[in-house]
Amino acid sequence: MLSRIAESLFWLARYIERAEDTARILDVNYHMLLEQSQQSYRLRWEPLIIMAGEDKLFRKLYDEVNAENVFEFLAFSEENPSSIVQCISKARENARTIRDRISREMWEDINGLYYTVTRFHPREEIAAGPHRFCDKIKFGAHRFHGVTDATLPHDEGWEFLRIGWGLERAEMTARLVDVQYHNLLDALPSVGAPDNHQWMAVLRSVGAYEAYHREYHSAIEPEKVAEMLILHFQHPRSIRFSASEVQAGLRAVSGSGPGAYGNEAERLAGRVVERLRYDRVSEIFKQGLHSYLEELLRMCGAIGEDIARTYFYYAVVA
Amino acid sequence: MVNPGLFEGYETGSFYDEMFSSPGQPRAQYTKLFQKLASMAPSQFEERRKLADLSFLIQGITFTVYSDGRGTERLFPFDLIPRILPHSEWEHIDRGLSQRVMALNLFLQDIYGKQTILKDKKIPRWLVYSCPNFRREVIGVEVARGIYTHICGIDLVRDSKSGDFYVLEDNVRTPSGISYVLENRLVMTRTLPEAFQACEVLPVHHYPAELARILRSLSSRGEADAQIVLLTPGIHNSAYFEHSFLAQQMGIELVEGRDLIVDGGIVYMKTIRGLQRVDVIYRRVDDEYLDSLTFRPDSVLGVPGLMGAYRAGTVALANAVGNGIADDKAIYAYVPEFIRYYLGEEPILKTVETFLCANPKDLEYVLEHLPQLVVKAVGESGGYGMLMGPTADRAKLMDFADRLRANPRNYIAQPVVGLSRVPSYDPSTGSVAGRHVDLRPYCLYDGEKVTIVPGGLTRVALQPNSLIVNSSQGGGSKDTWVLRGED
Repeated sequence: MLSRIAESLFWLARYIERAEDTARILDVNYHMLLEQSQQSYRLRWEPLIIMAGEDKLFRKLYDEVNAENVFEFLAFSEENPSSIVQCISKARENARTIRDRISREMWEDINGLYYTVTRFHPREEIAAGPHRFCDKIKFGAHRFHGVTDATLPHDEGWEFLRIGWGLERAEMTARLVDVQYHNLLDALPSVGAPDNHQWMAVLRSVGAYEAYHREYHSAIEPEKVAEMLILHFQHPRSIRFSASEVQAGLRAVSGSGPGAYGNEAERLAGRVVERLRYDRVSEIFKQGLHSYLEELLRMCGAIGEDIARTYFYYAVVA
Repeated sequence: MVNPGLFEGYETGSFYDEMFSSPGQPRAQYTKLFQKLASMAPSQFEERRKLADLSFLIQGITFTVYSDGRGTERLFPFDLIPRILPHSEWEHIDRGLSQRVMALNLFLQDIYGKQTILKDKKIPRWLVYSCPNFRREVIGVEVARGIYTHICGIDLVRDSKSGDFYVLEDNVRTPSGISYVLENRLVMTRTLPEAFQACEVLPVHHYPAELARILRSLSSRGEADAQIVLLTPGIHNSAYFEHSFLAQQMGIELVEGRDLIVDGGIVYMKTIRGLQRVDVIYRRVDDEYLDSLTFRPDSVLGVPGLMGAYRAGTVALANAVGNGIADDKAIYAYVPEFIRYYLGEEPILKTVETFLCANPKDLEYVLEHLPQLVVKAVGESGGYGMLMGPTADRAKLMDFADRLRANPRNYIAQPVVGLSRVPSYDPSTGSVAGRHVDLRPYCLYDGEKVTIVPGGLTRVALQPNSLIVNSSQGGGSKDTWVLRGED
C-alpha cells in the first residue's frame, strides 16, 4: 500500500472521530445547561473551548463565552480548524484523494455527509440549538463506521483506519476527563454543593451513562467516572479500549506476535495499554489525574509521530 | 401518430437533427425511444432528471473550475435524452477511426525514428520541427511494443448540411472524458431502464479491462509481475474524478508524482513496506510536467529522472511522450496523407479543409475571408485560442489578423462546420429544444488492432445556439447509444 494512502486513511478516521466527539460533547453540555442556574454558565462553556485546544483563537474571534458563540465556533467556524464542519470537510478531502482505494459505499457516504453538513445554515441551527445538528454528525459517523466495516476488506488499509480512530478517541477522551475534572475541582468550593450534573454530562457525552449504572450500581462519583473512562476494558470509548485498538491495528500491520513489537509506535502503544491494564484509579489520583492524563496524551502524540516516521514519510534521498 | 408529449412544439430548425428527419417524424433508430419519452408526462421526466443529478452529486462525479479562485466542484451537466447512432453508421465510424489511429501511430514511430516521411517529402520538415509539441528529447527512444497512441479521443462532428461525420481533432496526448461515458451509462440504465431495454444498446463497460490489458502488455518484466500505476497531477486537477475512477476500475494504484522516485534508472513507488518497482505508468500528466530534469524545471507534478528510466526502457509510459506533434492543428491537415503513405488506403472519414497560415498563399486567403472562417491556435485544445469569424466583432477580427501576421505558424483556419443537433431538456423552461453536439469516441490501440467502445462521449452545448461543447464553457454530456444489429 502506498504510504500516502495509508496516511490519508489514518487521517480520514481521525477527522471523523474528532467531528463525532466534538458533536457529542457539544450536544450533551448544551442540554445539561438548560437545567442549570445562570450563575455557573460561563464556567460550563469554557472547558469545551479549552478541550478543543483553541481557547486563544476563540478569544480572538469572539468577545463573549456564551452558548451561541461556542456552538458556532465548535460546529461551523471556518477559522477553527477543528470545528465539526472543518473536520468533515477534511475527512472528505482525504477520502477523495483515495477514493479509488475505499469502497464506493464509503465514498458516497462521506460525500453525502459532507453535503448534508455544509448545507446546514449556521444561523438557523444556532437558533434551534445544537441537538439536530449534532445528532446528524453522531449518526453520520456511526453509519460511516458501519459502512466501512461492512464494505471495506479488513486488510492493512482497514487497520490504518482503526489506528486513526483509536488514537483520536483515546486523545479526545483523555482531554475530556482532564478538562472536566479540573474544572470541577476548581468549581466545587464556590458552588458549595456536590455537583453531579457535570459528571453525568461527561458520561453521556461518551455514551456511557447507562453503562456506568450497570457497572457500579451507585451514585455518580468522580473517581468511578474517571475509572470507567480511563481504565474500563470493554467500554468502546475508554482510553484503555481505544489504546488497545491502536495496538491491535499496529500489530496487524507489522505482523508482530503478542509480547513483541516491530517498531517504536508499537512499543509505545504496548506500554500505554499495559499501564492502563495494571494501574488502579486510586493510584492515578495519588499521582494526580491531570499529570497522569498529560502523560498519556504525550505518549499518544509520540505514537502518532512514530507511525508517521515508520509508515508515511520517506527521507529525501540526495 | 403518437402524442408528442415532451416534444410538443419541438423545432428542428435548419440543422441536421439527430432524432427527427422532419418535424414530428423520428428517424428509424429513435422510434422506440421517442415512443417511450413521448408517453412520459413532463413532470415525470423532470423527476427522473432530478434523480440522475442527485446520483451524480452523491457519487462526486464533478469537475473543478477555478474561475472563482477557490476551485469549486461542479456537476458536469448530464442531459437525459441520449444520442443514438444506428449500427451501420457506427461501423463506418469504427473503421474510419481505426484506420486513423493506425496511421497516427505509424507517423509517430516514423517521426521519432527513421523519418522516412520527411525524406520522401510528404510533409515539410520545417513544419514538423517548428511544432512546439515536437519533442526532440525522445527521438530514437524505443517505446514499448512500438505503441505511441494507446488511447485516442478523436473528436467528430456531424456536418449540419451534408449529415456526414468529420474529424475535428485527434487528441492523442491525454484525452479525458471516458469516465463520463461509463458513468452516464450507469445512471441512464437506472434512470430510464424501460427505454434503454427497448432499444437494445451495445455495452461500453469493457473499456477499463481492455485498457488494463494493453497497459499490462507494456511491462518489460512480463505481465504477471507488472506493477501498473496511474499518475495523476492530484486532487486539484479538473479530471481528478476520472483518474481515481479509472484506477479503481482497473485495480491499479493511483499515484501522484511525490509517491514515485527514480533510483538507478528504475522507477519505484513509496509504500508502507518500502520501495516497490513500477513497470508501467498510465500518465495523466502532460509531457512538459513529467520530469523536471528534462522538461519544465519548476514542475512538482512529475518525477525527477523519469525520462532517464523511460529511455532506458525500464518503465513504459502511456501515452508515449511526444504525441503532441500529431495533435498539432497544422499537422492535422496531413493526416489523410499519412493514411495514404503508411497504409496505402484512402481515408474513410472526412477531414475539414484546413488553411495553414504558415503558407503565404493560405495566409493571404485567410486574411481576406476571416469573417467566414474559424481560426485556431495549433497547440491549443479545449476551445481555447479560437476565433469564430462569423460571430466575432470587428475589433476581435482585427486583433486576430494582427496575430496571424505576427506568428503565422501558430495558426490554422477552417471553414465553419455546422454541428448537428439533438433534442435536449432545458430545466429552466421545462421543455425540449435542439442543442448542438459533437462526439468523442475513445480508441484503444494494442499494437495490432484498435478497439473502440461503441459510441463515446456526446458533448452538448447547453446554451441555445452555442457551438461550444467544452465542459469549462457551459457544455454538458449525453449518453451515446449504438444500437445492436440491423437498424
